[in-house]
Amino acid sequence: MRIFSLILCQLLCIFAAAVAADEKPLATSAKLTGLLAATGPEGKPVLSPEDLAYFDGLNDHLKTLLIKILALGLRPQKMEVFLQDNCVLCHTDPEVQKPGSLFTLSPVSSNSPAPHLNLGELVDDVHFRRGLSCAGCHGGDPASDKLEHSFVKEWPGTGRDKDRGWVPSFCARCHSDPTFMNKFNPALPTDQLAKFKESPHGKLLLETKDPRAPNCVSCHGVHGIRSAKNPLSKVYPKRVHETCGACHANSETMAGFKLPDGSPLPTNQLAQYKTSVHGRALLERGDLGAPACNNCHGNHAAMPVGLSSVSQSCGQCHAGNASLFDGSKHKQAFEEHKWPQCGQCHGHHGIVKTSDSLLADGPGALCTKCHQEYAKDKPECRATATYFYTSLTQMDQAWNGFGVTAEQLAMKGLDVDPIHHKLNELADSMKQARSHIHSFSKTGFERVAAPGEKAVQSISALVEEAKAEYRLRQLGLLASIALIAFVMLTLYLKLRRLEG
Amino acid sequence: MFWYYLGGTTMFFFMVQILTGVLLLMYYQPGEATAYESIRYLTTKVPFGWLMRSIHCWSAHLMIISLVAHMFSTMMLKAYRPPRELTWVTGYILFALTLGFGFSGYLLPWNKLAFFATSVGTDLVKSVPLIGNWMLQVLRGGPDVTANTLYRFFALHVVILPLAFVALIGIHLLFVQRQGMAPPLGARVPPRGMKFFPSFALRDLLLWLFCFMVLLVLAVFVPYGPGIPGMDWELGEKANPLAPAFPGIKPEWYFLWEYQLLKEFPPHLFGLEGPQLCLLVVSLLLGIWAIVPWLDRQAQREQPSPGFSDFGWGAILFLTFLTLKAWDIGATGSATSPASLKAISWICAWWTIAAGVVIVGVRFWVHRHRWFLFMGAALLHVVLHGLLGLSYLLAGAIAAILVLGAVTACIFRDDRRQANAGGSR
Repeated sequence: MRIFSLILCQLLCIFAAAVAADEKPLATSAKLTGLLAATGPEGKPVLSPEDLAYFDGLNDHLKTLLIKILALGLRPQKMEVFLQDNCVLCHTDPEVQKPGSLFTLSPVSSNSPAPHLNLGELVDDVHFRRGLSCAGCHGGDPASDKLEHSFVKEWPGTGRDKDRGWVPSFCARCHSDPTFMNKFNPALPTDQLAKFKESPHGKLLLETKDPRAPNCVSCHGVHGIRSAKNPLSKVYPKRVHETCGACHANSETMAGFKLPDGSPLPTNQLAQYKTSVHGRALLERGDLGAPACNNCHGNHAAMPVGLSSVSQSCGQCHAGNASLFDGSKHKQAFEEHKWPQCGQCHGHHGIVKTSDSLLADGPGALCTKCHQEYAKDKPECRATATYFYTSLTQMDQAWNGFGVTAEQLAMKGLDVDPIHHKLNELADSMKQARSHIHSFSKTGFERVAAPGEKAVQSISALVEEAKAEYRLRQLGLLASIALIAFVMLTLYLKLRRLEG
Repeated sequence: MFWYYLGGTTMFFFMVQILTGVLLLMYYQPGEATAYESIRYLTTKVPFGWLMRSIHCWSAHLMIISLVAHMFSTMMLKAYRPPRELTWVTGYILFALTLGFGFSGYLLPWNKLAFFATSVGTDLVKSVPLIGNWMLQVLRGGPDVTANTLYRFFALHVVILPLAFVALIGIHLLFVQRQGMAPPLGARVPPRGMKFFPSFALRDLLLWLFCFMVLLVLAVFVPYGPGIPGMDWELGEKANPLAPAFPGIKPEWYFLWEYQLLKEFPPHLFGLEGPQLCLLVVSLLLGIWAIVPWLDRQAQREQPSPGFSDFGWGAILFLTFLTLKAWDIGATGSATSPASLKAISWICAWWTIAAGVVIVGVRFWVHRHRWFLFMGAALLHVVLHGLLGLSYLLAGAIAAILVLGAVTACIFRDDRRQANAGGSR
C-alpha cells in the first residue's frame, strides 16, 4: 500500500494539477489512463497489474479524492498521510457529508455555507504542515475506520458555538506550554493567553461573555492558520488592518462601546489609517517597517490606548524624537494636562506627513493654537517657533532651488558633484533640525542647523563658480568662432584673388 | 555643387576624431575599475577634458551623418559608374568600418547604457549560421560582456580600426585623385575641370572650418547630445553587470533601423529563427547595395538611370520608417502595449508618407523624374503596415513582390524596345 501510494503519487503529480483544478477528474480519465499505462526507461510498465487492479477497485470518491489531493502539490509522504486519514476520507465524501461538514477544493467565498471547510486552506495550515492532523484538535483516532461521532468528546458539548470563551484555553493547551512549543518554534512566545486575559478583548469574552468579542480564531482563522510571516496570513502586516477592521470599522459591531471619557468608540480608524503616512507606507509601498494596528496597540495584549501608551509605541521607531521630547519642557506640561504626547500634535490613526507650516503663524499652525490658550504668559515660545519656521523654510527653499540649479548646470556639462555633496550635507542638517524641534530648545536647534546654513553658503559659492566657468566657456567659444570666421574670410578672399 | 564636398567633410570629422581621440587616450584607462572613473575624472577635473569628450562624441555622429549623405549623394549622382566602381567598394568598406568605430567606442565609458547596448548588439551575432556562437565568443572575449570585451573593443577602436581605416582612406583618395571626381550624368564638363589645389582644396578647407565652428557650438551648448534616444552620451551611472537591463534601451541611432527590423520578425519563420532570417534579409539588402555599380547598366553606358535614383530614395524611406518606429514616436503609455504599437505605426507611417510626398513632388516637378517604382513600393509598404494594420513582414512581402514584378516588366519592355530599335536599323 505504501509503495503503491508513493509510486502513484509521483506519476500522477505531472498531470493532476490541471486536471484537479477544475474538479473534473473523471472527465479527463483519458489522461489518467495514459498515466496509469506509463512505462519506464526500459519499456516496462511502472505499475504492476496488481497495482492497477487495486486502483481500479477504488470507488469513484477515492479516485476523485486522489486527484484532488494530487492537485494540492503535496509531497508524496504528505499525500500518504492524507490518504490514510479517515477524517479526510470521510469529510470529503459528498455522499456522506452535509454541506456544513464537507471539505471542498473550490475557492472559498463569503457565501459558502462552510467557508472554513477548504482542503487547500487546510493543507497550508501551519499545524497541518507540522504534523498535527484533524485529531490533534478535534480528537478521535484517524486510523480507525469506525465512523463514530463520539470522538469529538474532548470538545465542549453543547453551546460551543454560542459561547466561544473556551477557544483561548483550548488553543493554549499547546501554545502556553513552553516545553511543547519549543519542539516546533522556540522563538514563538507562550504568554498569549495571559496577555489576552488582561486585554479588553479578553475581558469582553471571558468576563462580560459578549458574543461579539474576538477569540483566537477571529484573527488567526480556523483551518488555514498561517505564520504571521506568510503573506496569506490574516495577521500578516499588510493584512492586519483588514482583520482588526472587520470589527473595529463596523459600526453595527461596535455599537454601544465607549471611550473612557464616555464618548462612543469611533469606527473611522481604518479609513484614517489608510490615508495616513503609516498606512500608505505599508499598504501602498509595501514597507514592512511601517506600523500596522498591532505595532502600536499590541498583539494579544491589545492594550487600551491610554495617555502614555501611544507615545511609548511611537518611540519604538521614532526613538530620537521621543528622547528629545522626554527632555523638553513640553513633557511635564503634557502630563499635567493629561494629553497624549505624540498624538496631541500628530494625531492618532490619521497621521500625515508633517510640514514646516505646523510651526508657522497661519492656519494649520499647532504651536499658536495651544499657546494662545495655555501659555499666553510665554511670548518667547512664539519667537522660538517663528525662528524654527524661518530657519527651516530658508534651508528648504535653498535645497529645492539649488537642486534645480544643479540639474541645469549638469545639463550644460559642468561638474556638479561638489554641489551634490553639499546638498546632501544640507539635507542631513535639515533632517536633524526638524527632529530637534521636539526638544523645543532654540540652542539645540541652532547647534544642528548651523552646518546646514554653512552648506547653503558653500553651495551658493559653488554655483557662482560653476556659472562663471560656463560664462568663460561661452566667451572662449565666441573667441574661437571669431578667430575661425576671420580665417574663413581670409581664405575666401584668397580664393577669390586666385581665381579672379 | 555642394555634394562633392561631403567626402571631405567626412574626412575632416575623422581627423577631428583622431586628434581628440589621442588627447582622450592620455587619460582614458580601459578596465572595469578604471574606465568609467577615468572618463569622469577627464570630464570634471582635467582642463578642457569636457570639451575634448564632447567634441569627440559630436564629431562621431556628425561624421556618420556626413558619411551617409556622401554615400547617398554618390548614389544619386551615379558617381560609382565606371571607372569608379572600386571607389564605391572602398567607400562601402569605410562605411562599415565607421559603424564599427561607433559600436566599439560606445562601450568604452563602461556606463549602464553602453554595457546593455553592447550586450544587446553583440547578441545578434550568434544568429549567423554555423559560426555564430564562435563569432560571439570572439567578439565578446567570452560568453558575456565583461572586462575582456572592453579590452578588445578598446584595441579595435584605438588600433585595429584606425589602421584599417587609414589604409582604406588612402586607397579611396588615391582613386579619387587618379580618376578625378565624377561629373553628374549628362552634365557639361569643363575641359580641365576644377584644379584640386588650390581651388577645390581651399573650398574644402572653408567648409571644414565652417563644420568646425558648428562642432564647437554644439560641443559647448549641448555637451551631452541632443537627448534623442541613441544620440545621448551623458556619462550617467557606472555599468553593473549584475543588474537587469533597464527598459527602453536602444542602440545608437544609426543602428536603430536594424534593431526595429529585428523586432518585426517573429521568433520562427520558414524553419529559421527570426533573428537569422532578419540577418539574411539585411545581408541581402546590403549585398545589393555593395554591387550597385555592376547592376546599374544604364549608368555604365552614361545614360540616365532613374531606376537607381529611385532605389536610393526608396531605401531612404525604408530606413526612415524603421528609425521613426524605433524611436517610439506616437507611443501612448507603455511603448510595448498593442495599442501603443499600433499608434506608433500609424504616426510614423504618416510622417514617412509626408516625407515621401515631398520627395516625389520635388523629383517630379523640379527634376522631371518619372521613375517611382521603388519609392512607391516603400510607401505602399508603409501604408499597408502603418495605416491598414498588416504585419510588417506581410506588407513588405506584398510590396517587394509587386515592385519586383513591375521592375521585371520594365526591364523586359526596355529589352524589347532595344531589340526592336536594333532590328529596325
